[in-house]
Amino acid sequence: MPLWLREHSWRQTLTAVYLSLPLRGARATPANIFCGEQYLKVSIPPFLFEAILYAPIDDTNSTAKIGNGNIYFTLYKKEPAMWDSLTLANADKEKLQYLREMAVLKAQEKAKEETEAKKFTKQENKKYALEATMKVEEAERKRIEELKEKEWQKVTKELELWKNQQKDGDKYKSIQKKGELREEIEPLKERKKEKTNKTRIPKEGTSKTRLKSTKGDGSCSIFSPTLKEEQLPVPRAAATIKVNFTPRVFPTALRESHIAEEEEWLHKQAEARRIINSDLSELKDLKEEEKNPDWLKDKGNKMFAVGNYLGAVHAYNLAVKLNNKLPLLYLNRAACHLKLRNLHKAIEDSSKALELLTPPVPDNESARVKAHVRRGTAFCQLELYTEGLQDYEAALKIDPKNKNIEKDAEKIRHLIQGTIQSS
Amino acid sequence: AAAGPERPQVVSHVQQALSYTVFDCKWVPRSARLLCLGSAARGTGLVQLYELHGARLQLLREIEKPKPIKCGTFGATSLQQRYLATGDFDGNLNIWNLEAPEIPVYSVKGHKEIINSIDGVGGLGIGEGAPEIVTGSRDGTVKVWDPRQNDTPVANMEPVQGESKRDCWTVAFGNAYNQEERVVCAGYDNGDIKLFDLKTMSLRWETNIKNGVCSVEFDRKDINMNKLVATSLEGKFHVFDMRTQHPTKGFASVSEKAQKSTIWQVRHLPQNRDIFMTSGGSGSLHLWKYEYPAQRSKKDSEGCEMGVAGSVSLLQNVTLSTQPISSLDWSPDKKGLCVCGAFDQTVRVLIVTKLNKI
Repeated sequence: MPLWLREHSWRQTLTAVYLSLPLRGARATPANIFCGEQYLKVSIPPFLFEAILYAPIDDTNSTAKIGNGNIYFTLYKKEPAMWDSLTLANADKEKLQYLREMAVLKAQEKAKEETEAKKFTKQENKKYALEATMKVEEAERKRIEELKEKEWQKVTKELELWKNQQKDGDKYKSIQKKGELREEIEPLKERKKEKTNKTRIPKEGTSKTRLKSTKGDGSCSIFSPTLKEEQLPVPRAAATIKVNFTPRVFPTALRESHIAEEEEWLHKQAEARRIINSDLSELKDLKEEEKNPDWLKDKGNKMFAVGNYLGAVHAYNLAVKLNNKLPLLYLNRAACHLKLRNLHKAIEDSSKALELLTPPVPDNESARVKAHVRRGTAFCQLELYTEGLQDYEAALKIDPKNKNIEKDAEKIRHLIQGTIQSS
Repeated sequence: AAAGPERPQVVSHVQQALSYTVFDCKWVPRSARLLCLGSAARGTGLVQLYELHGARLQLLREIEKPKPIKCGTFGATSLQQRYLATGDFDGNLNIWNLEAPEIPVYSVKGHKEIINSIDGVGGLGIGEGAPEIVTGSRDGTVKVWDPRQNDTPVANMEPVQGESKRDCWTVAFGNAYNQEERVVCAGYDNGDIKLFDLKTMSLRWETNIKNGVCSVEFDRKDINMNKLVATSLEGKFHVFDMRTQHPTKGFASVSEKAQKSTIWQVRHLPQNRDIFMTSGGSGSLHLWKYEYPAQRSKKDSEGCEMGVAGSVSLLQNVTLSTQPISSLDWSPDKKGLCVCGAFDQTVRVLIVTKLNKI
């Protein structure tokens, strides 16, 4: 049961009621005070003061002052009239309850309204702030634009000036030129006749303009062109410088960011070309590098270049044992056999190479041409001229511009015709 | 572009849309005229001559040739003649008199494949010595031509017999400070940079910068070689100090990674050899300044002289296009005026301001 505070004192004027409520030692905060239109409550547990006012008051403007152990209320009446008493005298429980509830509801509504109003003002303020910043930024941008415009105009003006200077300069030169040309027409005609027989176009061009460029010395014009030409050194003695490039497998340009990818691709290719059919017993004697068909092919090529054809054949044989799918091995071995006059073997190897060089694409053009030529040569040396000619013609079909193949094909044709005639 | 008060600004003066792909653009010396070289949609070559009129470019002349044109230079012609030397997609080197362009003044089928890059020296009243033109081609050779000698080059840098060729992407003349001295620098697609000495007809230096070399240029062609800038794929460029050559280490260099995309061109400002502009695959232009170190050379542990590279600082950068800017040329007559051509079929005239204050 709360303790009722009943010792209150009040006085009134026409418009206001002054209520003073002593708190028996309790401390009051604004949260403890609840005021409605006709209802006033102060609740400081365990103390309680409640009053149904005689008449409605203006609760928004009324004030409460907390101090000196008292609360002083200043309540402004809604209707200026003198109250008989502070509270409604004959208030039954129900009415009290009703009034209480109404008061609470009203207070809640008011609170809601207040928050709404606050939100609205906040939004308005934000909008205003945004607009203000936008204005400031616009102004800044405009300023920069203006600066740029000014620069541009200044620069355009300068440019125009400079251009006009150029134009004047050119005009002056052309006037000069006209004057000179009139003076020099006679000697010019004579020189032209001389020069047309000997010179090519460039020289004539230069002699004409050289005459134009002389400024005003009409009498020396015949001599000055030749002098001027002698001042330039003669064209350089032609020479060639041989260039080596940093090796690169790919035809595309080098990019640092792609180096890793490219290395990986090459590595995989190399792996794939390594031992794909191996007989372990034979190979355990070989050194690591000798197990690489590419290395063996290089070795073979080198030996072929110095004339060691047997050695080259051995190298290629070993390489083929390791990897019998590389057409170049057979191709090169065929060349060795040709040199060694093992003609049947040469034919076999060239055929094998051609088999492996399918499908016929531009990439393996040169290899196929070589294969056909070598096989053709072998046939001819075996006096099987028709087969040889067939190969030469196949080679010519792939590479029509090769003069050597054409010549050899012609020779073979003559030979065939010769043998037909004689037989 | 930052709007700092003293930094150079790149002002876009004129933009001109073209109806063809422009591969090279060049100022005509001693004039406010510029040339655009390129390839029309129907596979022919185009040369267009424009003149600057206020805020626009006026087309003065259009010349069509059978093969698309890749590059051009005025470097080997005299100021009076102003003949244009061009390299085309078929490997032909032609020199044209623009007043009478029907028949070339000089013509040779110099290469088997497209001429990627061309440079000229000995003309325009700059330097001394014979006028010469160098061309670099996809067939892997670099050839030097003298317009007075028909059909054969005066120097030929070709791969050793049997060596597989690499694309030569760029060439530049340098060290032409007297009548005898001259070098040619060539950059290849496998990252090789080679320096050929034409006086001794030998390879003077080579190196590999690990990315395909898109553009090389000496800061000045007609002086004792001072600096060489080489730009490459992957947004990198290297500045080599060419005054001191170490017997094994070659030339000292400093490198910068400016951006992610290819740096297509580098061009030094004709009026200040320490300022250069690079153009990028992302449509951007960067203006750089090179600062020399306190001492340009020092002795190594064995007492040999070796060079010391300086540093490069970015003065300004601007993005003009979404497509690569493939060609760039400073006007030799007006400081700060430059033209650039991009693959969005637009040629732009720009003015770089405040270069006097650097």
